[in-house]
Amino acid sequence: MKILLIEDEPDLRKSIKQYLHQEGYVVESASDFIKALEKTMVYEYDCILVDITLPNGSGLDIIKQLKQQHSKAGIIIISAKNSSDDKIIGLDIGADDYLAKPFNLAELNSRIKALIRRRNFDGNKAIVVNEINIIPEERTVKVNNEQVMLTAKEYDLLLFFITNKNRVVSKNSIAEHLWGDDSDQMDNHDFIYVHLRNLRKKLAEKGCRDYIQMIYGIGYNFKVNV
Amino acid sequence: MKLITKTITYYLLISIPLLLLAVMFSYYRIKVQLNEEIEESLYKEALHAETLATSVKPNDLKLDFSNLSSIKSSAPHENSHTFYDTSIYNQLEHELVPYRMLKSYINWEGQTYLITNVKSTLEDDDLMESLYSVCVMIIGFLILAFFIVSWLLSKILWRPFYATLSRLNEYDIKQHKPYQFDKSSTAEFNQLNTALNKMTDKMYHDFLHQKEFAENASHEMQTPLAVIKANLSLLLQSPNLKENEMNQLQSIENTIKKLSALNKALILLSKIENNQFNENSSVNLNDKIKAAIENYQDLIQAKNIKIETELSNDLIIRINPALCEILIANLLQNAIRHNYMNGTIEISIKNETLLIANTGETLSISEDELFVRFKKNDAAKDSLGLGLSIVKSIVTLYNTQIQYLYSLNKHIFTLKF
Repeated sequence: MKILLIEDEPDLRKSIKQYLHQEGYVVESASDFIKALEKTMVYEYDCILVDITLPNGSGLDIIKQLKQQHSKAGIIIISAKNSSDDKIIGLDIGADDYLAKPFNLAELNSRIKALIRRRNFDGNKAIVVNEINIIPEERTVKVNNEQVMLTAKEYDLLLFFITNKNRVVSKNSIAEHLWGDDSDQMDNHDFIYVHLRNLRKKLAEKGCRDYIQMIYGIGYNFKVNV
Repeated sequence: MKLITKTITYYLLISIPLLLLAVMFSYYRIKVQLNEEIEESLYKEALHAETLATSVKPNDLKLDFSNLSSIKSSAPHENSHTFYDTSIYNQLEHELVPYRMLKSYINWEGQTYLITNVKSTLEDDDLMESLYSVCVMIIGFLILAFFIVSWLLSKILWRPFYATLSRLNEYDIKQHKPYQFDKSSTAEFNQLNTALNKMTDKMYHDFLHQKEFAENASHEMQTPLAVIKANLSLLLQSPNLKENEMNQLQSIENTIKKLSALNKALILLSKIENNQFNENSSVNLNDKIKAAIENYQDLIQAKNIKIETELSNDLIIRINPALCEILIANLLQNAIRHNYMNGTIEISIKNETLLIANTGETLSISEDELFVRFKKNDAAKDSLGLGLSIVKSIVTLYNTQIQYLYSLNKHIFTLKF
């Protein structure tokens, strides 16, 4: 899986690269418009993360260029300008997703995985982790071949855990994933615990092992032995 | 008070006493002049009578100047001429009429004669009356003339001023294109317009800079925040982190979350105030309310709040759909945040009125500060203190009335669309 990261801020580029590298991706990066254009002309990528405001040009022009080349890469805009105009324009000219800065790397990871899953319809449709089998297209979950009836929030929570398995995900990043901008207004994360408790209960009923570990006060880790 | 009314008032205040003084002065001047004329003519008559008397026998003398003049023998007296004021009864008008009288004593052939000449003077009343009517006529005419002149002047001379005034009234910095006031042939108005042009240009550029600054500042702040957040995510993955280090990381993460929420809210406020949400459409408020309640189920259930809705009619308003969602969301969040455990929230729509009421503690800030940025109730430490400012700026944008009331342990917000 090859990812191109187009981002002018060196520290951010470094962190994202490191995180995605740990996820097993091959990550290349470009720091400005011209370097980005050179790379997209020469190489093929599965996914391209593009910042809109770049030295020497706009990320939107890179997206247009990619579309002209009929590139198959999935495109995610990562922008500090959280304006709906940019979002609409970006999605209009062919970007697949839009993530406003500042974002959680766990959230970025889950967006990339979701995008790659959508792009590879012909491939393996199910996500399998030991006895858990998720079919994202249908939003169904089976444990030991038995269907588990989950609410929308419980399903999103499980998928988020599995996408970021063997990683510590903070409660804040879970809240952001499940509630989006509304999570700004949440003073505490008690509701995460409510959904988590229900999810655990429903999975256990079908004989699923408890993979979810609590990491002190800060978050959880969906631990699967590799 | 209008300029023209003021001018006329001052004009009248000055001109009426002046005119009265002028009338009094004229009255005395005319009176003196008339007396002099009468005395002169009486004197001439007296001299004439003397001449006649000394040429004929006085006893036979019958003077034909005026039937009121006479010549009689008198007790010895020095030669003299003396004027007197007197009144004589007029039988035609049945009133006393003022007369000027000249008594002349002459000594001729050892005998003293008294010649009396009288002449009617103009009556004071008549004089005053005519002067009064002339004065009233003059004042009336002056006022009329002044009204006409002022009206014409304000139409012609003041026209550029009123044009400038009406353009200033229409002036809205948010829809500002650099503004030009018209040239005028009056130097003062040109100066005024030049000063206004300069001022509005300056205002507009400051406004642009401020807008640009707000946008840039938020953009510049998001990137460092993204860097911190990304590094934090990485740091969380390190093995061997101890509990207290984890807690410190969480504290940093919570602070960043708050900072970025603050930044987002400020960007939103400046966008609303810069009128950047200008695409309106018909929005059904009832649907938005139901959606918001659904959205905030987790928050509502966490406090076990009972929601009572009474949507008696569909309320459809012209508004930007995104702003409408933000408005409802902020009102609902406010009602949840400042509520008790097991409290209630009432939402009702009646005709054009939306009412949201929630149970909660009394305010620790004054009601006037409720919609002010960063003013928040002591109890809500984690609140940004911007939610109701956002609500206020949205309703102001759409000229909607919002009222707050605390009654029966309930905070009640009423919006009239």
